[in-house]
Amino acid sequence: MTPVPYFDVLKGLGAEVILTLTALVALTLDLASVRRAEMSVRSRTIGTTAVVGLLASTLPLWQQLNGPRMVLLGGTLAMDDLIIFFKLVIVALAVITVLISMDFDVGRHVGEYYAVLLFGAVGMMLLISAEELITIFVALELTSVSLYILTAFHKGELRSQEAAVKYFMFGAISSAFLLFGLSYVFGVTGATGLQAIQDAVKNTGGLAMSPLLATGLLFTIVGFGFKVAVVPFHLWAPDAYEGAPTPVTAYIATGSKVASFFILLKVLFIGFAGLQGSAFWGNFASGWTMLLAVTATLSMILGNCAAIVQHNVKRLLAYSSIAQAGYIFIGLVAATKMGANSVLFYIIVYALANLGAFGVVAALSSRAGGDEMQNFDGMARRAPFLSLLMLIFVLSLAGIPPLGGFFGKFYLFASAVQRDAQHFGLLWLVILGIVMSAVSLYYYLILLKHIYVIDGSDQSPIITPTYLNVALGLVALAVVALGVYPKPILELLNNFSYSVIAGLVR
Amino acid sequence: MTSAITLNDYLIVSGLLFALGIAGVIIRRNALVIYMALEMNLNAANLALIAFSKFNKLVEGQILVFFVIAIAAAEVAVGLAIIVALYRRKQTISVDQLTTMRL
Repeated sequence: MTPVPYFDVLKGLGAEVILTLTALVALTLDLASVRRAEMSVRSRTIGTTAVVGLLASTLPLWQQLNGPRMVLLGGTLAMDDLIIFFKLVIVALAVITVLISMDFDVGRHVGEYYAVLLFGAVGMMLLISAEELITIFVALELTSVSLYILTAFHKGELRSQEAAVKYFMFGAISSAFLLFGLSYVFGVTGATGLQAIQDAVKNTGGLAMSPLLATGLLFTIVGFGFKVAVVPFHLWAPDAYEGAPTPVTAYIATGSKVASFFILLKVLFIGFAGLQGSAFWGNFASGWTMLLAVTATLSMILGNCAAIVQHNVKRLLAYSSIAQAGYIFIGLVAATKMGANSVLFYIIVYALANLGAFGVVAALSSRAGGDEMQNFDGMARRAPFLSLLMLIFVLSLAGIPPLGGFFGKFYLFASAVQRDAQHFGLLWLVILGIVMSAVSLYYYLILLKHIYVIDGSDQSPIITPTYLNVALGLVALAVVALGVYPKPILELLNNFSYSVIAGLVR
Repeated sequence: MTSAITLNDYLIVSGLLFALGIAGVIIRRNALVIYMALEMNLNAANLALIAFSKFNKLVEGQILVFFVIAIAAAEVAVGLAIIVALYRRKQTISVDQLTTMRL
């Protein structure tokens, strides 16, 4: 028994350690020094502390960049360039979320709010580097429990409490499904590491030979399906998104989605690499691509159609993100290196655009008196800059060139067409995706019509703090840049994703 | 005469527990009772994990169970707090009444 190299572990997890310490500092600072101060001062002070901590946590990450692939604690946590890159994405999302929160009324418990937000970021970062079932489950729970607390943070508002109860119930049941599935996977393969599971799966003779493994796979996908909110496991999402304080909604819709999709990609592409089956038209075979193709179909249809009838902007964005999860699943169904790349690219674009959209909604709705569509009437006159940003984010979500969303969707669909290109096996999914994108344009344009065309009764200009304008402006710039010039990121992903797709048959 | 308990027996019990838990979640209307049913689901998974660990002579499953017990305790703390906060606002914890947000 070799002793555990604790020092190496601390060094490898430097970013997480710094974030945890920052969270504790934020709690102490709020309790010890600024509790009596005015609310805006408290929020600014603690928020700035959180931002400084988040930026400091990138230092160890930069240091590890371009290093060799490293595993900690017997393969439970891994470190390579792809993982570090996505940890940086999580930090960026958390920084913007903190900036949005500083401008938002989060209630009396300011220190606790930012501390829990940082704990959530730690959970997401651990989730991204986890490569073993126990670690995956623990990190997923750390993320989820933090988000349940944040959802309930609007103590005065009934919507927030209801949303928290629903989110918590659905989250807990998804954890139960996931754990039950993982227990069967562990039982059949006798392993908890993803790589070891892949090796063991090859010896079991596949799903047909082992009903236990098939059940495990099904339950695992159901568990993750709840976390990423795809139909038919989406019921919590609209309520949780609408009821939660808007910065928290932004965090749930982006940070936790990025981390969940990343780990789902790893579990499917590494752990279950031998079990993909086939979703080709006329040639279906049981396996996870089949399941994913079905949920993708349902998500795209139901998400887009339900979004059309919404009157609340947050709820509309919730249904749109259910539909977006459906598009992302197309890349997973392709189950190739290109599919993995397109998924990774799209979750970045999706997260940035959604974060920006919710950020604008947070900034404007708190000043316009609500987050219904009518509250945004004539917003282009009242807040021209943020309205312009909203235009960029929403059009990117709809997939209009030259924005990031267009290229991301194109890449996703292209990866599915290239798979089984002779027989156009996945073309049915792509055609459905394109048709549903056209449907989605309708409700995105309705939102823009409220902002740009309809005149509101209130004409007074809305002034938002400069730091928020700059932060959201940078997000919009990134969305545009990813669409106009995606090459650097694509090359980056192409070089990195070897570790994820190693187990797949190309 | 000695009929040892096999892995399958454990798995059947764990499957039944899980099914009971899901049935409880679907049928009951009280948030607290639903939450108890959810705990039963977690324990069904725990039982399966321990059984697999014992019969495969592996320790990882039992380690995971320890983590699950700790996590379940943390979830209880958060979950009960959320339910209490809801009760303060609404004076009921029946999930049928959670209808502020629709469609």
